[in-house]
Amino acid sequence: MAAPTRRTVLGLARCWRRFESPWSLGSRSLTLAAAPSNSASPWRLMGALCLQRPPLVSKQLTPMQEEMAALQQQMEIERSLYSDHELRALDEAEQLEKKKSDLYEEKDEKNILLVQDLEDMWEQKFLQFKPGARITDADVKNDRSSLHRKLDRNLILLVKDKLGDQDVWMLPQAEWQPGETLRQTAERTLATLSENNLEAKFLGNAPCGHYKFKFPQAVRAEGSLGAKIFFFKALLLTGDFSPAVEKGRHVWASKEELGDYLKPKYLAQVRRFLLDL
Amino acid sequence: MPGSPGARGLSGSRAPPASPRSARPSRGAGRAAPAGRGHRAARGARRRPRGGAASGAGPGAAAAGTPGREAARRPDRRATHCAGRTAEGRAPGSGGRRPGGMAAAALGAAWRALRPASGLLGARPTQTGDARRRASLLSFWGLVPTRAEPLRKKKKVDPKKDQAAKERLKKRIRRLEKATQELIPIEDFITPVKFLNQARQRPPVELPFEESERRALLLKKWSLYKQREHELERAAIASLLEAQREALQELELTAPELHAEATKRDSSLFPFERQGPDYTPPIANYQPPEGRYQDITKVYTQVEFKR
Repeated sequence: MAAPTRRTVLGLARCWRRFESPWSLGSRSLTLAAAPSNSASPWRLMGALCLQRPPLVSKQLTPMQEEMAALQQQMEIERSLYSDHELRALDEAEQLEKKKSDLYEEKDEKNILLVQDLEDMWEQKFLQFKPGARITDADVKNDRSSLHRKLDRNLILLVKDKLGDQDVWMLPQAEWQPGETLRQTAERTLATLSENNLEAKFLGNAPCGHYKFKFPQAVRAEGSLGAKIFFFKALLLTGDFSPAVEKGRHVWASKEELGDYLKPKYLAQVRRFLLDL
Repeated sequence: MPGSPGARGLSGSRAPPASPRSARPSRGAGRAAPAGRGHRAARGARRRPRGGAASGAGPGAAAAGTPGREAARRPDRRATHCAGRTAEGRAPGSGGRRPGGMAAAALGAAWRALRPASGLLGARPTQTGDARRRASLLSFWGLVPTRAEPLRKKKKVDPKKDQAAKERLKKRIRRLEKATQELIPIEDFITPVKFLNQARQRPPVELPFEESERRALLLKKWSLYKQREHELERAAIASLLEAQREALQELELTAPELHAEATKRDSSLFPFERQGPDYTPPIANYQPPEGRYQDITKVYTQVEFKR
């Protein structure tokens, strides 16, 4: 059989309680029991969490978009009417012309503040204001565990888990317990990750993707042929990992950087349900 | 007339007290005001002599007592009043209502003096009498309102009238409801008048040939770019949906019950609100400038009339 992509040691001694009590359909929370004794599906179920930090800042415009934006602005100005400010500027320009031509009768100077002065004032004020930086320090340092990085992209949380002998990068997951839905498994994963620091909004009850794999021959037991992982999408609202958490165990990666961490087949499945923002 | 407002005011103020004194309810209090006035004037004019007379007649009429004197005063006044106004007709019965000892003779004289007048008027209806009275009154105090009706008893027809009025109001309301409701105006679609000024028009710009060419080419490139972008977006969405469909299929094969749970509607998902990305990220510890603002947005309410 082809070498499995993963080596998982999922506990040979763990007995799989899936087929014990009869199903009771009805209310959705924890009254779900295990499936009827159906030994034809030896797959283990895992609920995984695809936690995304949505972008804080709009994307940089491509050259084509910049050009088009400039053209549209120009066309809009051409088609518009004069504004009050512009009318005032035109009047003052006329008055200045009259003054220069020496045909100007001395009138009372009512407007000490010219349009030019106003515009200069506004310019000064604008220059004094320092907006937040679009490219942050973390970008410069390439600190991938920071959340304040790549503000115009979606960042996905990856964790390093020990499976068998190896440390593998993957999306955070947990095994499904009888009596809960898979979405609740994902929520449990979120809770255990950060000890209730992270708050997320789950996007629906249905999984967004799945990945299944078979265990290596050495690991396969009676009731476990392989595992099926179902991914659930969530958007990060607030919170972050506390700095006390051990570094190197988690990473906030954008879609391009996923390839640096995930195994190829896993990556292929995961990329399908991530928008290329 | 200059005196009339004052007169009216006075008569108005005096009319209520005058009416109980004038013991002529059938006549109405219409004449109570001038009558009161007359009364007052007469009383005022006569106060001193009467007092004198009273004092003079005090020992004489002491036996009669105060009520007698009062009664004597009233017919006395009335007699003089009646004598003063020959044009006025009096009801036969009113003159002799309270015959006092002293004034009985005077009263009789006055009564006889006026009887031909009343006789003249008695045959005719009282309206002409009223008109004559009104003419004379007007000459005295102009537009003095001579009618102050006493409280009328509620007749049986009144509730019906009220109901009729209510019905008319309801009908009006129903008509308003049926008419098309006034819609809330969209401020953006109404051009403010100041922008119709001709001075605001920009002079038409003549583009050089190169510029217009550049623009045309750029617009074409842009449409192609947007088309490709749209195709990419559609492909991405299709891939998303496909991945989800496969996952659900897999779940159904593995655990149908969990699949049923997964395909249920999530009621907590909507309403879904999120702030979109800005151009720059928020500044940490930003101090916004102090100040208040007044919200001057116009709020329209459209009331739904339910029939």
